[in-house]
Amino acid sequence: MRKGKLLVAPAISWLIFFFGVPMLIVIAVSFASRTPYGQVIFNFTLANYQRFLEPLYIRIFVDTVFTALLTTVITFCLGYPLAYCISKLPHKWQQPGLILVMIPFWINFLIRSYAWVVILRSQGLINTLLLKLGWIVQPLPLLYNDYAVMLGMVYALLPFMVLPIYVSIEQLDHRLLEAASDLGAKPFTAFRKVTFPLTLPGVAAGSILVFISSLGMFVVPDVMGGAKSALIGNLIQNQFLSARDWPFGSALSIVLAVLALVLIVLYYKAIQKQEGGANNEEKLA
Amino acid sequence: MKKNWRSSALFAYSLAILAFLYLPLLILTLYSFNDSRINAVWTGFTFKWYVALLHNQRVLEALTNSLMIAAVSTFVSTILGTMAALALNRYTYKYKAVINGLLYLPILIPEIVMGLSLLVLFSQTSVPLGKVTLILAHITFCLSFVIITVNARLEGMHKDLEQAASDLYATPWQTFRYITFPLALPGIVAGALIAFTLSIDDFVISFFVAGPNSTTLPLYVYAMVKRGISPEINALSTVLMFATISLIIIAQVLQPQHTSSKKEKE
Amino acid sequence: MMKKSIGLTLVGLFTIALLAMGCGGNAAKPSANTTEKSEKQVLNLFSWADNFSPEVLAAFEKKYNCKINYDVFANNEELLAKIQAGGAQYDLIQPSDYMVSTMVKLNLLEKLDKTKIPNMKNIVKPLQAPSYDPTGDYSVIYTWGMTGIVYNKKYITETPTSWSDLWNPEYKGRVILLNDSREVFGMALKKNGFSNNSTDKDQLDKAFADLKTLAPSILAYDTDTIKQKFIAEEAWIGTMWSGDASFTYKDNKNIGFVIPKEGTLIWADTFAIPKGAKNKELAEKFINFMYEPKISAQNYEYIGYNDPNEKAKEFHSKDFLSDPMLKVAVDDVKQGEWLKDIGDGLTLYDRYWTELKTIK
Repeated sequence: MRKGKLLVAPAISWLIFFFGVPMLIVIAVSFASRTPYGQVIFNFTLANYQRFLEPLYIRIFVDTVFTALLTTVITFCLGYPLAYCISKLPHKWQQPGLILVMIPFWINFLIRSYAWVVILRSQGLINTLLLKLGWIVQPLPLLYNDYAVMLGMVYALLPFMVLPIYVSIEQLDHRLLEAASDLGAKPFTAFRKVTFPLTLPGVAAGSILVFISSLGMFVVPDVMGGAKSALIGNLIQNQFLSARDWPFGSALSIVLAVLALVLIVLYYKAIQKQEGGANNEEKLA
Repeated sequence: MKKNWRSSALFAYSLAILAFLYLPLLILTLYSFNDSRINAVWTGFTFKWYVALLHNQRVLEALTNSLMIAAVSTFVSTILGTMAALALNRYTYKYKAVINGLLYLPILIPEIVMGLSLLVLFSQTSVPLGKVTLILAHITFCLSFVIITVNARLEGMHKDLEQAASDLYATPWQTFRYITFPLALPGIVAGALIAFTLSIDDFVISFFVAGPNSTTLPLYVYAMVKRGISPEINALSTVLMFATISLIIIAQVLQPQHTSSKKEKE
Repeated sequence: MMKKSIGLTLVGLFTIALLAMGCGGNAAKPSANTTEKSEKQVLNLFSWADNFSPEVLAAFEKKYNCKINYDVFANNEELLAKIQAGGAQYDLIQPSDYMVSTMVKLNLLEKLDKTKIPNMKNIVKPLQAPSYDPTGDYSVIYTWGMTGIVYNKKYITETPTSWSDLWNPEYKGRVILLNDSREVFGMALKKNGFSNNSTDKDQLDKAFADLKTLAPSILAYDTDTIKQKFIAEEAWIGTMWSGDASFTYKDNKNIGFVIPKEGTLIWADTFAIPKGAKNKELAEKFINFMYEPKISAQNYEYIGYNDPNEKAKEFHSKDFLSDPMLKVAVDDVKQGEWLKDIGDGLTLYDRYWTELKTIK
């Protein structure tokens, strides 16, 4: 019992000081108001939270959550097979394989996004190629729309899904799968009933990391989306910069954090129900 | 790998994804040879940006800063984070649910909020802004990522091995060192990889807590945007990419042929 | 196995870092020695990237035996947020016009000792006492320009004359606007004959209604990479700053630039000294140095913006003086209206701006 507290103490104390205290400042500011020139004055008010309830902002929030969910689903679909494949590589190649996946993400995100613009714009790589081949007559609008934003988000967040899932798959006991096939299970059934449930911890971790990260994204909607969408990341960014309304920005951040936390707790409860089932099956096998 | 159509399809798919990940990098590399400062369209071939890069003291300084800060932040956050994950997973204690929630918050809060509030904290406590504040900030946002990743690994671990070890009179430390740690290692390494990745390309938080003369690479690049990012940055990225890939290949070649696998440990 | 390769990779990265330090360090060695010998002064400069000629900076360092730390920011609001949240240790910053008046109101700027900056007299008369700093006590202008319509002559044969030309249905999907609420709404307000600092709700409603009809035609909102988009010809027409237009023209000769008849906004980047700066005197020396005619010419030729230094004209190249984009701005300076800080109006603008962005 004490050991548990001791182990977790350094991380918790770190977070309490370097995160908790700044958060108290943010919470305090969320109840404050803004002077005409953008300074913060601390007179207690709920106006910022009330303002969030206006339809304009609710709509932005819903749009953002929807985009984040879609991003999570797509990165899951793309990432799981990749993680699986890496875990099936000869042992010597698994970890280089992981690093190979990570290397692009050590290169500055902004210039990678600009590279996508070069690829996708109407005079870009893809359109020039397709036009030359004669497959299209007019350049395709591949940029500055919701599809481009989705592409950018998935591109930015894929490693956060792949890594945790790989970590889970890698520790699978292969004898379980052998047992399943010995018992006559087809490969897909074995996957569905044995592999996938046992890798749920990784899937859960990856999904949460991707979902949360996509909520706050603002670079992708600006560069790939042509700054034509208002997602909550852009909205909050604006409050602290061009609108100089720190109180409203703080309130929005708190609301975002609380609502996301609620969603995560619900998700975890659902996962744990699944895991309970998987563990039972494991015990039987 | 079993040689059947399923494995081949999976392998082909993974190559396709890898191509998707590397396509922009290919373009980047190509444009590092572009004879145009503003680098909007291809105009001609030149090596001059690579030469300019070698003489660009400021960008090399920014690179060094980034690498150093990333290394330190990764190291500290991985250690603290692993400890915390172990505690969350192995022990029960009061307020466990609350602490769980607290650990998710740092990644839920938008970066600009975290950056500004950290700046306020540092200025109110008169901490001079510089490399130290950058490291402190980076560790803070990396911690949660490490904890979540390591925890995912620990969740899937067989508790019976540890049980068996303690039945055989192993001390908790021995259990940790010979059983838990090796089995958790891939998770810890994954956490470290994520932390490193986050730190090396962080912009928003770094902008607010950096001081004079402690520019990191992302800060340098982002600020260049107004006048157009010079192809020197493309050159730098190309060099980094090839250097890292070469390192991996060299490491692989130098490795002794291991026939033992983790299965033997089990 | 796992540890080894990761370890090797990290070691490798460290080696690169050390090599980099070696490369960069070699260049820095001479000055490092002098720092140890004499107490070298340091000037902490916080500005836009690539905003000074490196040769000019080196000349200043040599003349005054100091070192310049050149840190960068990408927009005014980030500058303000950082200075406002406290803890910034800069001696010289470069806020834009409206930001100067905001910072003065928030008491963030030092009063300049004009006796230390005699070369201030060299600034062209119309720009010496701009409305954002009428007494010139807090700022000295550095670069200036106007927002206008940029267009690609290859696709647009009729020269645009009015802001309403942006609404031409033939240009659908080829329009780019600056990603800035004050610029975009300022433009729409001017189109309707209002001031671009208006906080009158009716006027703003009218501007917003106009913008709503334009929204579907817009290819993108972009301030940072708008030059590249015009060079690559992704867009045909849009709003752009005069200095940027000059850059774009260098890489694509099809570009044209006009100041619409309704007038536009004029903007400036300035020098200012934040409150509590440690090296105020050195900062003032820097500003003064920048306005020496020969230095001015050298500097503005490099950065490619209009030179506000009257005395520098004789030192400028013919190309610079006849640059069509820059010339346009000089000729029409009377048509420009400075952006003012609109206080509470900012929240109103932000609301409209957010709504505009949600229109599909």
